[in-house]
Amino acid sequence: MVVLALPAAAMLGVACASGRDVAASSGDPARGREVFALAGGCGCHTPEKGPVGAGGRELETPFGTFHPTNITSDETRGIGEWSDAEIDGAIRRGVLRDGSVETPVMPYYRYAGMADADVRDLIAYLRTLPAASQENRPHEVDLPFPRLAFRAWRWLFAPDVTAPAVAPPSGVERGRYLSDHVSICGDCHTPRDRFGAPDPEQYLAGAVDGPLGQVVPNITSDKGTGIGSWAVSDIENVLEMGMLPDFDNVQGLMAEMIDGIGGGIGYAQASKADRNAIAEYIHTVPPIIHRVEKKKDRGGPG
Amino acid sequence: MRTERRITTMAMAVVAAVLLSGGAAQTKDEDSPKLPPGPIADRHELMKHNGDDAEKIGDALKAGKPGDAAAPAERIAGSVDHFLKLFPPGSEDPNSRAKPEIWTKRVEFDRLAANLKTTANDLAEAAKANGDVKKASGAMFKACKACHTDFRKPKDDED
Repeated sequence: MVVLALPAAAMLGVACASGRDVAASSGDPARGREVFALAGGCGCHTPEKGPVGAGGRELETPFGTFHPTNITSDETRGIGEWSDAEIDGAIRRGVLRDGSVETPVMPYYRYAGMADADVRDLIAYLRTLPAASQENRPHEVDLPFPRLAFRAWRWLFAPDVTAPAVAPPSGVERGRYLSDHVSICGDCHTPRDRFGAPDPEQYLAGAVDGPLGQVVPNITSDKGTGIGSWAVSDIENVLEMGMLPDFDNVQGLMAEMIDGIGGGIGYAQASKADRNAIAEYIHTVPPIIHRVEKKKDRGGPG
Repeated sequence: MRTERRITTMAMAVVAAVLLSGGAAQTKDEDSPKLPPGPIADRHELMKHNGDDAEKIGDALKAGKPGDAAAPAERIAGSVDHFLKLFPPGSEDPNSRAKPEIWTKRVEFDRLAANLKTTANDLAEAAKANGDVKKASGAMFKACKACHTDFRKPKDDED
C-alpha cells in the first residue's frame, strides 16, 4: 500500500505545485490572439475607453443589469490567480471558481463547443493582457434566487455540446465552427425567448431588441429580410472593415466587434482566411423570413 | 443527485413564475411622420441615391467589370457640392441623424465632404484607366465612414 500510495502522492504533489505553469505553457499566445480577435476581442469585458479586459460596460437585460468581469492578469480583480482549468470552466462550462454557475449573459453555452486547443491558446493569450486594477461590480439581478436560477437555466437551455480536440482547419466547416463557437454570431443575431434563451427556430434571423436595445439584422440567406442578395465578398467586407454593400458603415456593437473596443482587437485583426471561412458559412445559412427593421427604416429615409 | 435535480426543478419553476409575471417584452413603435419638403428630405434623398450608386460600384467589382464603376463614382463626386448646400443652419430635426457638430465644426464637415469628392473622383479615374478599383473603392468607403462616424448619429439615437 505504502509503495503504491507514495508515487501517487508524489505525482499529486507535482501536479499541484506546477499545474498552472505546465498548463499555461501548453497554449500558444500568438495563436490565442487569433482566437481572441475572432471572439470580437471578448469585447463585452472591455470598457469603452479601455483598458482591454478590465471589465465591460453594464449590460441591461430583462433579468437585471450585469457587469462583465475583469479578465486581465490582475491577481485579485482579474484571473491572474486562476488555473487554466478554472478559466476553461468559466469560458466553456459556465462554472465559477466557487462552483457556482455563471449568468447566461456570459455565453459559455456557445463557447462550450470551442476546441480544446483553441481554449488553451486563448487562455495563454488572456494571460498576456496587462493587469488592470478595475474592481468587479456585483450583478444587479432581478430574480429571487439568482444562483439557483442560473443553474436551472444551464440545465434547461444550455445545449449538449461536445467540443472537438482541434478545430476544423478550413472551409465552410471551419466557418460554421467559428460562427457558432468562437465569434458566436448567434448570440446577438438570433432572437431570444422569454427565458433569454436563443430561439433555435430563428437561427441568425435577427432581433428587434438585441443587446443594449439595438436592432440586430437578419443574416440568413432570405432575400427580402436577410442578406440573401449578398455575395460572400460582401460579408467579408463587413467583417474586415464594417463596410456594407452601399458603402454605409456598420455601427453599434457590431462595429465594436469588428474594430475592437477600448483599444482592443476584433474581427478586423483576425486572419483573412478565417474571415473568409465565416463569410462562406454565413452565406449558406438557410433563409428565414424575419423582418427586424423598425417601421420607419423601411422604404428608404424620409 | 436527486436532491440537486429537485432543486433545479424548483428553480425552474421560480424562474418561470417570475418571467411569466413580469417579463413581457417591451414593444416600441415610433412610426415617424414623413419629413416635409425641404433640405432635410432632399439630403436624405441625395444620400439614398449615393447609396444606390455605391452599390453599383460594388456590383461592378463583383461582376469583374471594374470599368462600370466609373459612372456611379462620377455621380457621387458630382453630388457633393449640392449636398453641402443642404445643411443650412437650424436644419435639425428629430427624424434627422445629422449631429449638431455639423454646424459647430463646419470646417471639418466640409473637409470630410471634400474628401468624398476626391476619393470618388480617384475611383472614377481608376475605373477608366483599368487601375486598382478595389483599393480606390476602399479609400472612398473610408471617406464615407469618417464623416458618418463624426457627424451622423447612430440609428438608435433617433428614438
